[in-house]
Amino acid sequence: MRVLLIEDDLRLQETLTTHLREAGYAVDVSADGIEGLYLGEEFPIDLAVIDLGLPQLPGLEVIRKLRSKGRDFPILVLTARSEWQDKVAGLEAGADDYLTKPFHVEELMARINALMRRAGGHAKPRIDLGPFMIDLTGQRVFRDGKEIELTTYEYKVLNYLVMHPDEVVTKTDLGEHIYEEDADRDSNVIEVFIGRLRRKLDPDGTLNPIETLRGRGYRLALVLAA
Amino acid sequence: MHSFSLRKRLVLVAILVLIIALGLVGFALSAANYQGAVSSMQARMESYVYLVLAAMEVTDAGTLEMDEDFSDPRLTQAGSGFYIKIQGQEQSWHSASAVGRSWPRLPQVLAGTMSFAEPAATSDAFTLQYGVGWQLSEGSIEPFTVSVLVDKEQVLQQTSAFRLGLWQSLGTAGVILLVAQMVILYLGFRPLRQVTLDVARVESGQASRLEGRYPVELEPLVRNVNRLLETEKSNQTRIRNALDSLAHSLKTPLAVIQAGLSRQDSTLQNAVDEMSRLIATRLERAGSSTRRSLAEPVEVEPQLQRIVDSLQKVYSHKMIQAGFTLEEKLAFYGEKRDLLELLGNLVDNAFKYGKHRVRVTGGALEPESSRPGLQLQIEDDGPGIGESQWEGLLKRGARGDEQVEGHGLGLAIVTELVTAYGGEISIGHSELGGALVQVRIPPS
Repeated sequence: MRVLLIEDDLRLQETLTTHLREAGYAVDVSADGIEGLYLGEEFPIDLAVIDLGLPQLPGLEVIRKLRSKGRDFPILVLTARSEWQDKVAGLEAGADDYLTKPFHVEELMARINALMRRAGGHAKPRIDLGPFMIDLTGQRVFRDGKEIELTTYEYKVLNYLVMHPDEVVTKTDLGEHIYEEDADRDSNVIEVFIGRLRRKLDPDGTLNPIETLRGRGYRLALVLAA
Repeated sequence: MHSFSLRKRLVLVAILVLIIALGLVGFALSAANYQGAVSSMQARMESYVYLVLAAMEVTDAGTLEMDEDFSDPRLTQAGSGFYIKIQGQEQSWHSASAVGRSWPRLPQVLAGTMSFAEPAATSDAFTLQYGVGWQLSEGSIEPFTVSVLVDKEQVLQQTSAFRLGLWQSLGTAGVILLVAQMVILYLGFRPLRQVTLDVARVESGQASRLEGRYPVELEPLVRNVNRLLETEKSNQTRIRNALDSLAHSLKTPLAVIQAGLSRQDSTLQNAVDEMSRLIATRLERAGSSTRRSLAEPVEVEPQLQRIVDSLQKVYSHKMIQAGFTLEEKLAFYGEKRDLLELLGNLVDNAFKYGKHRVRVTGGALEPESSRPGLQLQIEDDGPGIGESQWEGLLKRGARGDEQVEGHGLGLAIVTELVTAYGGEISIGHSELGGALVQVRIPPS
């Protein structure tokens, strides 16, 4: 999943980027409103974390412009202004949640997770998928109660598929949402990840949890439990 | 301590000046009138002298003979007040009016001289004496003194009637002048009273400056008051902005520190939490206006709707059913941001802890007041707050680690705010099953 972080304080930007990458997100960063808006408009972003006090273009404007361009990914507002008039203004501009500075990093991660889940239509942090159970908070996957060890990228691929159920996901989609802008993207690598993921999830080949639609992409074949 | 009122000073001085001025005028006029009456009496008495001299005859033997056929009844009627006496060396004559009257000792006057005396200790009458020498045929001269006495009442009757009239008219004039003075004062002070009323309106928030039309003399005062109000307003804005930006610029570095701390550094974490709590409850409130008198009323319902809409978004997964019952046109007489802060924190807690339902009830306190107070109840169906925690939650300036997790910060901010408005906050149990927070803000 790809997160856009627009924060003008470089120290905070750096720390948060590290934390987000550790949590398995691809992160695009900007320190000002205009560049941030450009990234948000042009890139396949899954979630944005936007500071309200931005140089060039205020955060509220960035949010309004993104929404008016039809970009509907979740937006979490990060603000030094803890007053409710500012929170309400942010939410009315189109944000989905807010966090006041200073904050606990765990709190930020939990909020981002929750927003991602809600955007994917999942209300709870645990997703039941046939015999599988995916713990979004702990980023762990179980089959019939037994944990399956996945690498970071394998988990990212699975997570993206889970967040887009009933959709055909192309290799390009997966590449864009898993890697950051400057990373070397090779569609063959995605195929490799899908292959490994299938073997780990379904070693005996009976469930076929991820189906391939030739020339189009992949789709989660299991029905999500409500 | 009050200095003596301007109006009282002016009225008092006016009364004193009137008494002194009218008194002097009265005395001068009555003195002039008396002098006039006396000199006209003197002239009259002289004419009596000539009347008597014309009626007098002295025989060659030197005997005084009077032709008493006076046409003037005052000389013939006893006790008329007019008395005449002629004194020779061995003989005398007096008018019929003087029958029975005792005569004071009257000196002889040299022939050809006239003397006049006003009533004095020795005599209670006006006295005019004229000396004549009557040449007898043999050539000797017989001296006579003609004395005219007039009782002083004859003059005083006149003058006292005049004096009575005089004082009556002067008194009337004084009263009229005093009334005129009052009217002048009333009209003169009216602009001052207007200024006082207008300043009171500014103080109570119905106006932001003195707007009316004032007389030229008051314009400098009005101008300066307005300038003072503007300076004060801009100072307030400046201080507020400075504190605001200080509060906000402290938070990003704090966020950096906090993001850099590992979960194990609980001492440092606590310190950072404490600092952010102080910034939120104290520093950010320090700049807020306590002059709620100047604030326009803010209608509660639209602001509550904004808060609820925002929170529905944040807590969309909880599907909270939020209902509110507010009195029609319920308004908050204070700053809009304070109302949002109050509602935001309390309703946020309710959404956070409530399971399915949140209820907000509101009404005016002392609705007949010109700027009524506000009473709000926020309830949820969550686990509620234990009674043992109520006091700690509402204690002003409680330390971060004394605060109960969760409800704490929001309630601390609201407590701080409600206290600044002179109101009170209390916690209770809701019939919905969860917490009930009640806020009462008195009329301003």
